[in-house]
Amino acid sequence: MPSVIRAAAPRNNGITKLTNCRLVRGDALVWDDVWVSSATGKILRSQAAFYDELIMPDETINLGGRIVAPGFIECQLNGAYGFNFSTVLDDMTQYGKQLRDLNRKLAQTGVTSYIPTVTSQTSHLYKTVLPHLGPSGGPRHPHSGAESLGAHLEGPFLNPTKNGVHNPSVLRTALSMTDLEDMYGATNITPPTTSSPPSSSSSSSSSSSSSSNTSTMPVKMITIAPELGAMTALIPALAARGIIVSIGHSEATYEEASAAVARGATMITHLFNAMRPLHHRNPGVFGVLGKQHPPHPPPPRRDGGVADAEAERRPYFGVIADGIHLHPATVKIAWRAHPAGLVLVTDAMHMVGLPDGRYVWWNGEGEDYIVKKGGVLELEGSGVIAGSSTTLITCINNFLAWTGATIPQALLAVTATPAAMLGVQGVKGSLDAGADADLVVLSEETDASGERRTNLVVDEVWKFGARIFERGV
Amino acid sequence: MRFIIRDDEEAACSYVANYIVDRIKHFAPTPRLPFVLGLPTGSSPLAVYRLLVDRYKAGEVSFENVVTFNMDEYVGIPRDHPESYHSFMWKHFFSHVNIRPSNVNILDGNAQNLEAECIAYEDKIRAAGGIDLFLGGIGEDGHIAFNEPGSSLASRTRVKTLAYDTILANSRFFGNDLSKVPKMALTVGVQTVLEAREVVAVVVGARKAPALQRCVEQAVNHMWTLSALQLHPHPMLVCDEDATLELRVKTVKYFKNIEQVARAQGFEQILPSTVRTGPTPLPTTIITDEFPPSTIPSPQPTTSRLLRATPAAEYPVRSRSPSPDFMPDRMASRINEPALLRRLTPDPEQQPQRAEPGLESSVLMSTMTMKIVIT
Repeated sequence: MPSVIRAAAPRNNGITKLTNCRLVRGDALVWDDVWVSSATGKILRSQAAFYDELIMPDETINLGGRIVAPGFIECQLNGAYGFNFSTVLDDMTQYGKQLRDLNRKLAQTGVTSYIPTVTSQTSHLYKTVLPHLGPSGGPRHPHSGAESLGAHLEGPFLNPTKNGVHNPSVLRTALSMTDLEDMYGATNITPPTTSSPPSSSSSSSSSSSSSSNTSTMPVKMITIAPELGAMTALIPALAARGIIVSIGHSEATYEEASAAVARGATMITHLFNAMRPLHHRNPGVFGVLGKQHPPHPPPPRRDGGVADAEAERRPYFGVIADGIHLHPATVKIAWRAHPAGLVLVTDAMHMVGLPDGRYVWWNGEGEDYIVKKGGVLELEGSGVIAGSSTTLITCINNFLAWTGATIPQALLAVTATPAAMLGVQGVKGSLDAGADADLVVLSEETDASGERRTNLVVDEVWKFGARIFERGV
Repeated sequence: MRFIIRDDEEAACSYVANYIVDRIKHFAPTPRLPFVLGLPTGSSPLAVYRLLVDRYKAGEVSFENVVTFNMDEYVGIPRDHPESYHSFMWKHFFSHVNIRPSNVNILDGNAQNLEAECIAYEDKIRAAGGIDLFLGGIGEDGHIAFNEPGSSLASRTRVKTLAYDTILANSRFFGNDLSKVPKMALTVGVQTVLEAREVVAVVVGARKAPALQRCVEQAVNHMWTLSALQLHPHPMLVCDEDATLELRVKTVKYFKNIEQVARAQGFEQILPSTVRTGPTPLPTTIITDEFPPSTIPSPQPTTSRLLRATPAAEYPVRSRSPSPDFMPDRMASRINEPALLRRLTPDPEQQPQRAEPGLESSVLMSTMTMKIVIT
């Protein structure tokens, strides 16, 4: 059994060494140690700490060969544990309280950072809730639990014919940036300082507690239907503000989607769901994953080769691998088409973690009801799937079973890939020195059934260098 | 020279690792009197480090009070470069055991003044009380540390220019780009190694066989710097069968025999206790005045002073026995009869320089008379 060996002379520098573990490094599992500091909340460059600062860890924890992955990053979460981000409460101080409660519970599932998703709503709701949903990692308190990296606005500039469960009557068409500012509140989508706009994906800010201009802006990502209004033309302006533009709930053709990607859209919201299906003569949004973009192939890079350069031009895409939204084969095809772009998302509603039953859902104008039956959520009376009630670790296990991906490959889809999509690579979703010490310790459980199917189980969760969850404790 | 031959690399390295663990445990180091260990880098000692780490993880040995000195380091590559010896030691040893960072000493190849760094390193070794056990590897050309062929056998820690062969061989670690390979290194000298109280070299693989043959069967030679071990009072070579390929069958059998016989007698090839023991029996100061002045003339050395001059004697021997050394005496001295204390053998100093000619005949005469008496 894994055991804890206390260092002989504790000096309380807040450093813990995790040993006898396999680290997710790239798409491989590597036997190595990882040193984390609860003082800085970061992963240490252990060799430099040893030789320069003559530091030894306070505590050495033997993980007994288990897997250490970066903390999961969830890119589409509508709420959980009975709390829906898209609600206006009479007493908005309760909103913050419930949000903090959710953060602590969410962290126990292995999700250490996420972008809270607000569905299509009226302007009033956006302006009320967005100030609560901005990046929350600034104080770097481990026990605050999961950290918001900024909000994801899934609407209301969506195509009414691909509304899903969003109320069509609140959907809007944007013709100018003013329309967006009026809808969301100008301060919510404007970087606080007017200093240099964040350079594109290549910038990996080394400081995560950064006061860099985008990190305090409440909105991180907006899902739009590019074919409507002047939306495609607005993409560069949004991208320049440090907002990630994602294509979704859209009737976009292959050409329209390609144009949006060329303008700077870098993500696709729940690929296949709420968009035109793949047609062999018009592949639609999915088609952009098949793009061979560069007319002149870029020069091969010293480390990665051509594939990476190509990946930069193709968008990332969210996939709901809950077993209800997509057929397993579809997930496999999408992964094969663009492995480095796949981001596993849950699209979970606030019913996740609650018993079966009938739950109220605020659609922007009035109340609808969503019926939860097992893992399936349906809008009452319509039969439309209304998000999921799954957890990210379940999606990872489904993905492993369906695609034949290796464990590190599957974990990339919830760590390094979403981090790169959100522009926080090297800070989140990474076990490299200097990254935030958000970790998940996973053990492998083989299914009791004859099938040799491996299930990953979240054993421990670490946030900012401190252990905040331990299974069975 | 103790020369241990094992069937394969694993067994040889296992012998070395066990030996080091036993030495440390027997030494029972304390913070005030730590065990001082000299360490190499390279492929030969890799398995030794792995086994030492295993023994540490099994809780069989602690490195808490072990001070280490590394043999060498490149000049001019960043300390945390993956090929630096700092990185090697961190990756293969230090990161896995409970050694204190303040007890780790490695030459700084990026020091402003390299010569001063080398001098300071020698001082540090001296301040630590000298090295108790220097573990070493060996190059195909018989080098120990970066003391390549032609290095002075009296050399000390210094800057060393690498041979072109070595640079070529190392280029595989630097993307086959010769310009990136370090051209210089800092290394302890042959004399620095010889001053350790004990030297253990691990030699594995057929590629090392010619060098091993030169160092064991041939004379001390600066072209094979490891051969200087022949001058050390307590060297030990541990090798696998492959490394003995160039040795005479007779040599191999001889050393195997010695080990076998020693073991059969329950006597491992261990060190004299003065070298072996740690600080456990703390030396007590003996005030010689309290002893009665000896009336016995001290025994004279039986061998030349030169031969007895062991390099290790430069350092204080730590565990001086609290009782005075045994001095052989004559039974006659125990009898209280002054007449018997007279020296029996002629004392040249008390005899006249030259007998006079006249006396000579009288002596002859007396001998003759004695003869007569006897007959």
